[in-house]
Amino acid sequence: MFLTRSEYDRGVNTFSPEGRLFQVEYAIEAIKLGSTTVGIRTPEGIVLAVEKRVQSPLLESSSIEKIMEIDRHLGCAMSGLTADARTMIDHARVTSQNHAFTYDEKIKVESVTQAVCDLALRFGESVHEEEAMMSRPFGVALLIAGIDENGPQLFHTDPSGTFTRYDAKAIGSGSEAAQSELQDKWHKQMSLREAQILTLRVLKQVMEEKLDHHNVQLAQVTPTKGFEILDDTQLKELVEAM
Amino acid sequence: MVAVPDMDSLVNPQQRQFNPYTENGGTILAIAGADFTVIAGDTRQSEGYSIQTRYAPKVFRLTDKAVLAVNGFAADGNMFVKKVKQRLEWYRHAHAKDMPLRAIARLIQTMLYARRFFPFYVYNILGGIEDDGTGAVYSFDPVGSYERETCRAAGAAQSLVQPFLDNQIYFKNQLAAPGMSHPTHLPLPDVLSIVIDSFTSATERHIEVGDGLEMYVVLAKGRGLGGMEAIGGVQELSERTEGERLFVVRRELKKD
Amino acid sequence: MDHFPTNWGRPRNDAYDSYGTYPIPHRPYNGPKDAFGEGVQRTQQPIVTGTSVLAIKYKDGIMMAADNLASYGSLARFKDVQRLTAVGEFTVIGASGDMSDFQYIQSMLDDKMVEEFTSQDGHALGPAEIHEYLSFIMYGRRTKMDPLWNSFLVGGFKEGQRFLAYVDLLGTTYSASAMATGYGAHIALPLLRTAVEGKENLLTEEQAQKILEECMKVLFYRDARSLNKYQIATITAAGPSISESRELATSWSFAEGIRGYGAQTQ
Repeated sequence: MFLTRSEYDRGVNTFSPEGRLFQVEYAIEAIKLGSTTVGIRTPEGIVLAVEKRVQSPLLESSSIEKIMEIDRHLGCAMSGLTADARTMIDHARVTSQNHAFTYDEKIKVESVTQAVCDLALRFGESVHEEEAMMSRPFGVALLIAGIDENGPQLFHTDPSGTFTRYDAKAIGSGSEAAQSELQDKWHKQMSLREAQILTLRVLKQVMEEKLDHHNVQLAQVTPTKGFEILDDTQLKELVEAM
Repeated sequence: MVAVPDMDSLVNPQQRQFNPYTENGGTILAIAGADFTVIAGDTRQSEGYSIQTRYAPKVFRLTDKAVLAVNGFAADGNMFVKKVKQRLEWYRHAHAKDMPLRAIARLIQTMLYARRFFPFYVYNILGGIEDDGTGAVYSFDPVGSYERETCRAAGAAQSLVQPFLDNQIYFKNQLAAPGMSHPTHLPLPDVLSIVIDSFTSATERHIEVGDGLEMYVVLAKGRGLGGMEAIGGVQELSERTEGERLFVVRRELKKD
Repeated sequence: MDHFPTNWGRPRNDAYDSYGTYPIPHRPYNGPKDAFGEGVQRTQQPIVTGTSVLAIKYKDGIMMAADNLASYGSLARFKDVQRLTAVGEFTVIGASGDMSDFQYIQSMLDDKMVEEFTSQDGHALGPAEIHEYLSFIMYGRRTKMDPLWNSFLVGGFKEGQRFLAYVDLLGTTYSASAMATGYGAHIALPLLRTAVEGKENLLTEEQAQKILEECMKVLFYRDARSLNKYQIATITAAGPSISESRELATSWSFAEGIRGYGAQTQ
């Protein structure tokens, strides 16, 4: 088994005889090394939360940026090779702005997710004189949160370019434990506040360090205020309430 | 005597330029009500003093609640409508919904402005129902300037029809009865007769207007037929009666 | 990074911009460049020209007429030119304007028909499709400021349906039951309309032929760029057929009676 694998995991676009693209599967593995990231959808909005691994006391934790704004009504949290996410979010932002420019309306959450996923499989060798866009798959998964005419939505994307809608989703190293916890605790009529607390509780369970307002980041998308990253005071208050 | 070559033509070389435009006459107009919109156009197509055909539609259904009227250079107009329809189809595939009216309006602007330096020589009027259920009219110039209005006429007889609409729709130069105010929106039967009168009058006074009249009527969701029943020659274009409803009314105009 | 999927290329070449967001009219072009592009001479005027084409709807289909003259300015240069041409099994095209542009279009349509035939997909191009294709070519060329200097009438009959439409160098199109290009649009069209409108389903082949012959005669009397040799095409359920050249029986004896014309001296 391992021998066949080593033959077919060289070319990024070569299928194995069993019909697998190993490089894409390895990229999905890369996410499991990333820090845990959680997203919860409620009728009042969506909450995104990430664990920030503060590896050294000299590290300025506020410089770790794992939740980003795509547009006023769209936010995004990541896990895995976060540098790769910059390309994707950059594309998502341009797509969203372009949509607003051309159609005078907010782009739908699903559409912007689809646009990001269209990028995912554009890796491989170049043909003729065309430049190759990317040499390898993205090593990052995203949780894209947003509100449009269909209400609050949460999407998960992975390096294979697949996207799925979730009520609550965890990705990254602690995702298995976190996901089963979400499955237990999530309910339809959850308030935004409950969701904030739940994300922190879930993160706390899977984190090695003790959770405080320095090593987590929380953001939300609400119908009234759109995307916002919670500041230190809000975060502190939540950590205490938890 | 030796013939002197025409120095003038050598010193100042003349360039004869192919003119890629022509005008094909006709007039279009649209009026928005509170919960309906009427979009109309005559069906004559002409070039110079020649009538090319007595039936060439200038008003096109885009979606269940959007109708586009185009006037000016017919070849550009037909191509433009074709391109807009294509974009609406792509949008449906990408976003799994029909494009809302105000999005179509903005799209038309970007499409027109994209050709700023070789314009589509076309005046567009877009009419239909907005997402909030109100009747709406958007009018454009050939390079994409646009605004939402209550009514607009364009084309050969614009200068005849628009002042009439200003008076009848916006009540310009009319005083309201003491203690009364002018209505902001007229009922459908009133609007339809104003449209018909506009075109019969334009037909009388403008040689490029006539032959046939096509009026598209878009009714907002849940609104009754209110006023449609009395009109003759109505054809319904919408398949469903639950959503917005779309009708076309065809009338003859004088052919001289 | 380029954010427009249409420019991303391999492994997938997007034919269109699914998010419909390309704000700039000209996409970057990376194909081969024409080194002499600047020096290309575009058609500024027609050279060898054909005059009017006439066409009407009648009971069994479409009938079309055009004379056999190709003029070089005011010189009657070629007197046996065929300006009516069958395209496929269902269509005839009549051409006025520049004859070399017409021949170019003939060969282009020929190629297209061969291409369509070889695909053997059970579809055959009818008059509506050919007219649509032709108008795209014509409009495309006018948009490049390099027009094909013609006016065409496209007539046809397919699946029990008559078809008759016009397209010209600007890409303008329209349809009617009696049509004429060029000078004929001024002189013959009023006669055709009176004879045809409202009677499209009644006129027999003989009647239709008589109407066209009469109009060709009037045109020959009035149009200085016309000839008394012409052809008639019919397109019916039986397919297209283009007649041999025929002569118009004209009489000029009346000219003797006109003062200042002919043999009169005073």
